[in-house]
Amino acid sequence: MIADTNEFPELDKTKFEQRGTEFKLGIPVINAVSIGNSIAVGFGDGTVRIFTSGQCSEPIKAHKGIVLCMSKDGDHILTGGDDGRFLKISLDGEINEIGNFGTRWVDNVTANNGNLVCSSGKIVYLWSPNKKEPKLFEHNSTIGGIAFDAKGRRLAVSRYDGVTLWKKDYTNKWESSNLIFKGSHNKVSFSPDGKYLVTTMQENLIRCWRLKDNVDFAMSGYNTKVKSFAFVGETSYLATSGALGMGIAAAICWPFDGDGPMGRKPTCLQYSGNNQVTFVEPFPSEKAVFAGLSDGSVYLSEIEKSSNTIIIRSFTESEVTSIAVTEDCSSILIGDMGGNILWTSIWDEKKS
Amino acid sequence: MEEANKQVPVTVLTGFLGAGKTTLLNRILTEQHGKKYAVIVNEFGEQGIDNDLVVDADEEVFEMNNGCICCTVRGDLIRILSGLMKRADKLDAIIVETTGLADPAPVAQTFFVDQDVADRTKLDAIVTVADAVHLSSQLTDHHEAEEQIAFADVVLLNKIDLVDESGLEVVKERIKKINPFAKIINTTKCGVPLKEILNLDAFSLKRVLDVEPDFLTSDHDHEHDDDVTSLSFVSNTPLNMEKFQEWFGNLLQTKGQDILRTKGILDFKDQSDRYVFQGVHMLMDASPMGKWPEGKERSSRLVFIGRNLESMNLKEGFENCKSA
Repeated sequence: MIADTNEFPELDKTKFEQRGTEFKLGIPVINAVSIGNSIAVGFGDGTVRIFTSGQCSEPIKAHKGIVLCMSKDGDHILTGGDDGRFLKISLDGEINEIGNFGTRWVDNVTANNGNLVCSSGKIVYLWSPNKKEPKLFEHNSTIGGIAFDAKGRRLAVSRYDGVTLWKKDYTNKWESSNLIFKGSHNKVSFSPDGKYLVTTMQENLIRCWRLKDNVDFAMSGYNTKVKSFAFVGETSYLATSGALGMGIAAAICWPFDGDGPMGRKPTCLQYSGNNQVTFVEPFPSEKAVFAGLSDGSVYLSEIEKSSNTIIIRSFTESEVTSIAVTEDCSSILIGDMGGNILWTSIWDEKKS
Repeated sequence: MEEANKQVPVTVLTGFLGAGKTTLLNRILTEQHGKKYAVIVNEFGEQGIDNDLVVDADEEVFEMNNGCICCTVRGDLIRILSGLMKRADKLDAIIVETTGLADPAPVAQTFFVDQDVADRTKLDAIVTVADAVHLSSQLTDHHEAEEQIAFADVVLLNKIDLVDESGLEVVKERIKKINPFAKIINTTKCGVPLKEILNLDAFSLKRVLDVEPDFLTSDHDHEHDDDVTSLSFVSNTPLNMEKFQEWFGNLLQTKGQDILRTKGILDFKDQSDRYVFQGVHMLMDASPMGKWPEGKERSSRLVFIGRNLESMNLKEGFENCKSA
């Protein structure tokens, strides 16, 4: 007898993989954003594809090089690229160029109350719905990340040596103040209740400001730079990528209820395999988090009942770079650096 | 080994304004047919650069929060290199052109400090383009010019048609005094075979093994204290590992700002492997590099390039590390 390892390939696959659809596109997946029950995916060749009900659209040729960043404005996709363009794209592939900065990359895009916002170099550009020319927010150094609070009255811009906090007063004038901490700040986010501001840094930690008194503190203990973070639930946890020392992948979840995370220990959701968690995505409306690992595997865990961990995707040997859940929470899309994509339903047939 | 093959080589081009960096850059881009390059520039538009993929950078330097004031890195490079590594089409090489007054240390240190950058790219070499006519005065007036020579793996001595032979010798001597290990290539209009400046792997520990022992320079003229010079030491007596680590660690911690580059091959008592290291300021890359070759004499060699080296009692410190 000859053992044929390809004879039972289904045995290695999770039930999510078995009932889902896999795409082996071979193009690095950079980002994914859900729009209604579709998910837009940005790739390392500058294209965007729309996935709906397990079907993949024709590629939309958005950028020349790569889709550096992605967000949404209602039912449209926003993208920024290394061709210096800031684009608004409809789900059927119609492209509208909002801004063009030539050889300067568009590093961040977002939208708020109809305003379209991007950053390129040291400047944030904001296009109001009825204005042709953008408003410019200038900074002293290159911008790492941008984020609005839930009400859209505050815009946080991370950069070297801290964050510039722009506040809109009641005459709709923007005033800036500075939150200072030396070093290079990358991504930035408000907590859902607007009480805290967090940044990832070049160092192996997360910096946090309590905004009522601007007290700052670090959430540290990481053995690598924090690549991905996301608030999970209304005012509950900040889930982050990471690992526990050598060889134990973990999503680190810091408590943000009550008096916040200062002086408290995080919950560590551990996963098998000698890897890192490279991407975290909240399960909308649940205190649960999807964690993608450097080997391509993806798990779903409830933060307060970590025994309830299930494996969604087994390994692909390629780092997970994107996870997105459709707005009705029925389906999930997972993408990695190797260009492997899985679309699958989250619930068993009988529940859906 | 497979990991190493995946790393895209990054060549850093330094040199004062007008030395010929852009000429060299365009030469590389036009002569390397069929290769995909990304070029990261800071003075875009000064002269046209003939390439599909030109990225504007801001040359932003920041200090790492690791308690070391000389540990400065280029934040814009981390961002751009990380972005370039996400491309679907793989690059053959990346070239970083720095501004005329740039200190090369933060560029080099970026490759030590950021794990993502170190995993996917590697610093191939620092190539400094120097103007044979003006280098001497630039070295006197600007410490950045000295640093660019001190960090160079290759110095392209350009515009040699504009100086006479004795003038050329004076400039070369000046370069050698700062950095006796850099390869000096004479050119006019940067005409140089590209294999002399690309894919040199100059920062790999294997290349440190090529460091020749016959570089002892004893003809020290009276120099200004803050001139960049080099010192090197050889010992045929094996070193005591503990003593060496204590001395060298303390040296880098206290004098790291003045020590620009170091390289060494070390013979430790009772160790069968050769130990090799190379560093930029306080940051080190070090590893055992296999057994000593059969039939070759074991010896330790140590090289420093930096400022105020005379005041650091290096010779005495090194002598004290010899095993009894």
